[in-house]
Amino acid sequence: MMKRLKTILALVLALAMTASLAACGGSDTTEEPADDTAGQTTEEPADNTGSESDLAYVQDKGTLVVGITYFAPLDYKEEGSDEWIGFDADMAKAFAESLGVNVEFQEITWDYKVEELNSRAIDCVWNGMTLSEDVLAAMGTSTPYCTNYQTLVYPADKAADFEGLTSLEGLNIAVESGSAGEDAAEALGATTVPVQAQANALMEVSAGTSDAAVIDVLMAAEMTGEGTSYADLAYSLNLNDTQGLPSEEYGVGFRQGSDLVDTFNSFWAEKVADGTVLETATTYGLQDAVILE
Amino acid sequence: MLEFFTSTTFQTVLSALNSGFLKTLQLFFITLIGALPLGLIISFGSMSRLAPLSRPVHWYLRRNKREPGKIAKLLIAFQPIRLVCRLMVWIIRGTPLVLQIIALFYVPGIQKWFNWPSGEAGRMMAVCVAFIINYACYFSEIYRGGIQGVPTGQREAGQVLGMTKSQIFRHITLVQMIKRIVPPMSNEIITLVKDTSLARVIALQEVIWMGESFMKGNSGIAGLTWPLFFTAIYYLVFSGVVTVLLGKLEQKLAFFQ
Amino acid sequence: MAILEVQHIEKHFGATKVLEDISFSLEKGQALSIIGSSGSGKTTLLRCLNFLETPDSGTICVQGETLFDAADPATQRENEVRRKRLHFGMVFQSFNLFPQYTALKNVTLAKELLSQERPDFKANKKAILEEIQAEGRELLGKMGLSDRANHYPHQLSGGQQQRVAIARALALHPDILCFDEPTSALDPELTGEVLKVIRSLAEQRTTMIIVTHEMAFARDVADQVIFMDGGVIVEQGDPHQVIEHPREERTRQFLSRYAQN
Repeated sequence: MMKRLKTILALVLALAMTASLAACGGSDTTEEPADDTAGQTTEEPADNTGSESDLAYVQDKGTLVVGITYFAPLDYKEEGSDEWIGFDADMAKAFAESLGVNVEFQEITWDYKVEELNSRAIDCVWNGMTLSEDVLAAMGTSTPYCTNYQTLVYPADKAADFEGLTSLEGLNIAVESGSAGEDAAEALGATTVPVQAQANALMEVSAGTSDAAVIDVLMAAEMTGEGTSYADLAYSLNLNDTQGLPSEEYGVGFRQGSDLVDTFNSFWAEKVADGTVLETATTYGLQDAVILE
Repeated sequence: MLEFFTSTTFQTVLSALNSGFLKTLQLFFITLIGALPLGLIISFGSMSRLAPLSRPVHWYLRRNKREPGKIAKLLIAFQPIRLVCRLMVWIIRGTPLVLQIIALFYVPGIQKWFNWPSGEAGRMMAVCVAFIINYACYFSEIYRGGIQGVPTGQREAGQVLGMTKSQIFRHITLVQMIKRIVPPMSNEIITLVKDTSLARVIALQEVIWMGESFMKGNSGIAGLTWPLFFTAIYYLVFSGVVTVLLGKLEQKLAFFQ
Repeated sequence: MAILEVQHIEKHFGATKVLEDISFSLEKGQALSIIGSSGSGKTTLLRCLNFLETPDSGTICVQGETLFDAADPATQRENEVRRKRLHFGMVFQSFNLFPQYTALKNVTLAKELLSQERPDFKANKKAILEEIQAEGRELLGKMGLSDRANHYPHQLSGGQQQRVAIARALALHPDILCFDEPTSALDPELTGEVLKVIRSLAEQRTTMIIVTHEMAFARDVADQVIFMDGGVIVEQGDPHQVIEHPREERTRQFLSRYAQN
């Protein structure tokens, strides 16, 4: 009997897996409108929260899980410390506090950020995320809080070859797969080498396996040049300008239709007003990039 | 050289890799503990001859004095447990483990069936379930080969000596099966040691993830490639230990042929 | 009264009829030889007696008790079949010793497992197991294998292995001991030692059924011979009569073919 039960259970799992692969591909994540009566929602079990308030869900479990990748100076750890710090990390802590919940930082694989959100493995993506068209379509996003542009990183001793370029044709350019940098590099005619993270793109250049990399200027400023891990790399060029595009903006991503977006926007406005945002940004050298409107 | 090994950087990297390897080991052992027995159950299922429709169809044919036609033959041969088990083994072995991990971790939440516990624990749990199911299917085929490889004469000798089915399995078939499956099982287990690295696709911070983390930045260290390659030493040492242990088991079973 | 009464046994494998209307009886203390060419159904008949095959029709009675009746499903229940098998002992052509056990353990294993079902097993466990051990050693001694008790099967010659298998079958004191071509898998120089053991069993009036190709042996040892061909009993009777003066043409043909080889 047990034998039969177990095999059936396992089969159901396997079938569910195959069946759901299709659902994965076309995840149009339609949020049900919140048209049901308020009395019902609070007693619903946790797995039936499709129409429930995301804010209530987070407050109910008492933890805000923030999806991040290692990205100095936004989310990183000081040598010898196990605490996440940075402009984004510090503000995330403040946001969680304002909600009355704990904060938990979860490193994720960047390619799966939307799935991480939708499967509720995390509650928001807060990691210098460029508000690209793809991101806007797949997530509920906050108002922009920081500006950024894509820049070209190359070996410092070959700076002369790269400065003033208006086209990347004929070059092997390392980019983070699915990033705004990838779009920029492609638009400028580069042969792209997509890698897992922006930091891996730097690795490519350092190892000589790619000619140059296109990454966020914030990261380039933090991680290249003298006194950094990539002392032999340099950067220049605003590739957004080169393409005739406006600068990019960073935002925080939530689940589509989440009421946390509004909660966040009013939190942020408040913190801009009382000077906390500028103060924190200055700590991490981002006073010029942060948006204070 | 010595300076390098005593440097704080080396110490930081080592302790990060150690914590990653602990996860690797955890995943390895949980998978073995779950998949070894589950595989045996699946192998029994895929050898099951239970055909619930055989008797009623035979009875019907006899009552109506009819010879079995095509449909009757199909119904008689319908063995649901065997079918289900073989189908499952086909699906699991026929699709990449990495896909199964991704599906098992993200799909339940997206479909609002259930949520894995948050944080590392949930990721570990999902990965363990995926690995156990996947490896149980591979093991089940090895078991099946092992059981079916024991000559029928052995079972018959037990039968004519008045042994029960379970006595025959425990006292006769089992040890002979184990002897047969140790070499292919060793292969699978060594593969498992290395397959654990697939868990990083859902950001389980096992040893390779930790190795890679020093490329992008971890604890204020970035741009280091050697930690990634250094993880090879962990795998080599561990698979070496596993190889020796399995070799000992093989020797232990060498007393008979 | 006959110790074994077989009546109208029939057996099909799919559409092929392998046994047709087999009936014979055997007296206690007698030896029966079954001869015939390969594929004549001898082995299948033996396997039916040991419940390794289920006949499609017919009955098998031992000491007046109906062990099997194809028309009565009540006689075919799995857990009862297990006990019924104990009326018969079986020595296989390919020995089928358990490779992971010593010669002695091969002989004693089944008895040890059976003894666990005795109500006094827990209380007298040690004494019971010692008794089984002693009996096993004695049996191996009778087979001339006292010095091989702790050897594993792969350390024994074919003849020795088959003698262990005979001891194993005898350990459960079956009413009828069946041999399925016990020397066919042996090198010619090893058949003698096995035949000698079977001969001595016959002299001790062990009830036996021996499927064999050794004509001279069948003639000398058996009290009764059955010649089978194409799934039917062609001729049966006194061994000297059947083997030396067969009445049936098919028997004569078989024996002359056999003599040529």
